[in-house]
Amino acid sequence: MRQAVVIVSLALLAGGCYSGPDPAAVAAGGPATLTGAPAQSFEVVRTDGRVDSLAHHRGSVVLLNLWATWCPPCREELPALEQFSRAYAGRVVVLGVDQGESASVARDFARARGVTYPILVDLGQQYGRAYQGLGLPTTVIVGRDGHVVRGIDGAMTLAQMRDAVAPVLAKR
Amino acid sequence: MSARVAGTAAAGVALALALTQDVLPGAAFYHRWQYALLLAAALAVVVASIVSALRSGSRWAALALGGALLAGLAGLASGLLGPDTASVIGTPGTVAPIPALGAAAFFGAADAAAIGRGDATIVLRRPGKPALEVAAFGHRLDGESILGLEARPAAFVEAWDEHGAHLTITQPSNASFLSPVLLFRQRQKIGEFDVPFDVFATPGRGRIFHALFFTPRDLANFPHAVADTAHPALILTVSDEAGKPLGIALAPSAKTIELGGVRVRATLGTFPALTIASAPPAWALAGGLALSALGLAGGALSARRRAGAAIQPAGT
Repeated sequence: MRQAVVIVSLALLAGGCYSGPDPAAVAAGGPATLTGAPAQSFEVVRTDGRVDSLAHHRGSVVLLNLWATWCPPCREELPALEQFSRAYAGRVVVLGVDQGESASVARDFARARGVTYPILVDLGQQYGRAYQGLGLPTTVIVGRDGHVVRGIDGAMTLAQMRDAVAPVLAKR
Repeated sequence: MSARVAGTAAAGVALALALTQDVLPGAAFYHRWQYALLLAAALAVVVASIVSALRSGSRWAALALGGALLAGLAGLASGLLGPDTASVIGTPGTVAPIPALGAAAFFGAADAAAIGRGDATIVLRRPGKPALEVAAFGHRLDGESILGLEARPAAFVEAWDEHGAHLTITQPSNASFLSPVLLFRQRQKIGEFDVPFDVFATPGRGRIFHALFFTPRDLANFPHAVADTAHPALILTVSDEAGKPLGIALAPSAKTIELGGVRVRATLGTFPALTIASAPPAWALAGGLALSALGLAGGALSARRRAGAAIQPAGT
């Protein structure tokens, strides 16, 4: 009981010290800073049970989309991503990378929304860390050479997705 | 004390102060006025001794003192003009550019076990040069920078909802938003404790957690007994997104606790930060030492010859 009192008093002191987002810290990183860097890859399980990674798609242009089911802008972006993946099938590989949620949660959600592109389940949030996501969704365009072409913070429209991959597809 | 002894002592102090920056790099003391004053005073005596030695024709002594002067001046310049020791803190698996070194630091990926063991690494890459894995303090880089590792407190956090479904961890106040690794960049004073502090959230459940990191020593100094003082622990407070407090708990390392409707497991340990310390140029230290050694050796040989020459006539 006495220990609990000590903990509670410590916590009451600690409760007031959350400073909120630090704009300077946020400005220091972010996916946009990764342009030109080798794209990091981690093997994880997909919602269909297969093991996959970014590296498996080396040689293709990849649109890597970090998302989560609880994220409202991600949910709004999903139809455009699905449309994009169908329109660019064979030219651009779309990979959804669910951040930190169970495979069943991601699979049920994606099925309900009619998502057909592969969803990687990144329980350890390795992709999130490596691509310095400032928020969700975060999209990374990876070139055929395995280097980051662009990192984009926030939801994209179909037109923005087309614009993002156009320069990479133009390179042969 | 004779002028010669004073000069020798001052030269020894100047050499020692300069070399300390290389042997024990990173101390804030090297950039303080007390260090500069001590070194400047020693160098003033060394200069006076050099003048005196040259006047008396002791060229070897002047050379030895000159070596100390070179190393001491380099140490003084490094202390006064060199940048303070800087820490580059990076999230596991990320890359941090270091423009001052023309390099990028690759922070090794680290899972819960690696954080617990504290054996993650940092690799420094520079264009056209081989990658350098930084270990303990002591990597000299391009003459005037010394690189090292600083083990900082870290926690790998995992969370599940009441059904056992994994929850995303976010860090709304940090650049690495999507990392489950807390690096405790801030500190919080609580009574006699000054402890690392960080914040994370589980947006899937709308919970915000405040985490205070207590080392085993802190836990042993708690005013009331804590069951396990052999391992570090977090004190976690949780609130909902409106800021309503929902609970508090002590979370021992690698133990799952339930708080605010979320099961949380934090594996505590360390993750390295890259420290960059300024130091006197290697050529100045090596040159100063070499000159001093040459001067001392030459002086000793010269003295022996003189002694031999003085004895010879007496024996014939």
